[in-house]
Amino acid sequence: MPTEISTPDSSSAGELVRVDREKESAAERKKRFERDALQYMNQLYAAALRYTRNPEDAQDLVQDTYAKAYTSFHQFEPGTNLKAWLYRVLTTTFINAYRKDQRRPQKSDSELEDWQIAESASHTSDQGKSTEDVVLENLPDSDIKRALAEIPEEFRMAVYLADVEGFSYKEIAEIVGVPAGTVMSRLHRGRKQLREKLTDYARERGYVKGGAE
Amino acid sequence: MSSCENCRDSLVLFIDNEIEDSATFNEIAFHLQECEGCRNQMETERRALNLIRTLLTRSCCETAPSTLQERIAHQLHELQLQELAGYSQTEIITQYRRTEITIDGETQIEIETSHEIRRDFPF
Repeated sequence: MPTEISTPDSSSAGELVRVDREKESAAERKKRFERDALQYMNQLYAAALRYTRNPEDAQDLVQDTYAKAYTSFHQFEPGTNLKAWLYRVLTTTFINAYRKDQRRPQKSDSELEDWQIAESASHTSDQGKSTEDVVLENLPDSDIKRALAEIPEEFRMAVYLADVEGFSYKEIAEIVGVPAGTVMSRLHRGRKQLREKLTDYARERGYVKGGAE
Repeated sequence: MSSCENCRDSLVLFIDNEIEDSATFNEIAFHLQECEGCRNQMETERRALNLIRTLLTRSCCETAPSTLQERIAHQLHELQLQELAGYSQTEIITQYRRTEITIDGETQIEIETSHEIRRDFPF
């Protein structure tokens, strides 16, 4: 058998992986795809939820991503970073199809904007850092997701890919299709906005003294 | 530019482990050992970033619904059937094009171009 493959969870770059893609049958390729690519489904779904901001579109996006990935799987270079490759398919699919054609209504954007304006008006400077950390840790998960959903899409993608998925600037640049310098600035601004929002929510909930009406 | 300024400009890159040039990296690492102010600043930024990461990772960990898993399994099966039926064979189309260019109304040059189009799957 000409195929020598590493274990599924060590499919990162640098592994010795030999797959003879010329001789591989369709059945073998499907098997390899199922074993190597499907393990990222939960992660891709969580990312798709951040991209689309609704569960129905997120499911469609992940399904389309796997269809595209499967049909071009022979182009994937075994031994290179499969997770990054799948994220590139996900992101490209989202940018090309879903963003242009938001098929389901999201939380009203204008509502968000009004709310954001009100919030930023009442925003005051940073509190003592360590106290703030404790305070932010107590925020419910729903607030964290809401804050992330409300920052601009480009920032949201950069922050998610870097701070949840742990991709490097260079990897994000390839996934999103922009220069690494752009990734850096989106990431910095995204993190800053996210933190400001979280601090605002904490104040709203009365976790932080001062600044609130 | 002072080394403090240099250092603070690169702090986030340093924390993100994105400084590729080893000389620059060493310079900052050395400065951080020497300078308490920059070291404190670095710790503050690192703590803030770790907090953001912890919060995001804690909140954004949804599991794909079982219906989605089924949909994908079904779809892969369908795609494979199509593939086996030959729909997804790689097609190579060769195109020929002839261009006639007349210079001074006398000389005729004939150019033949061919290029291959790889079509992987009619999606």
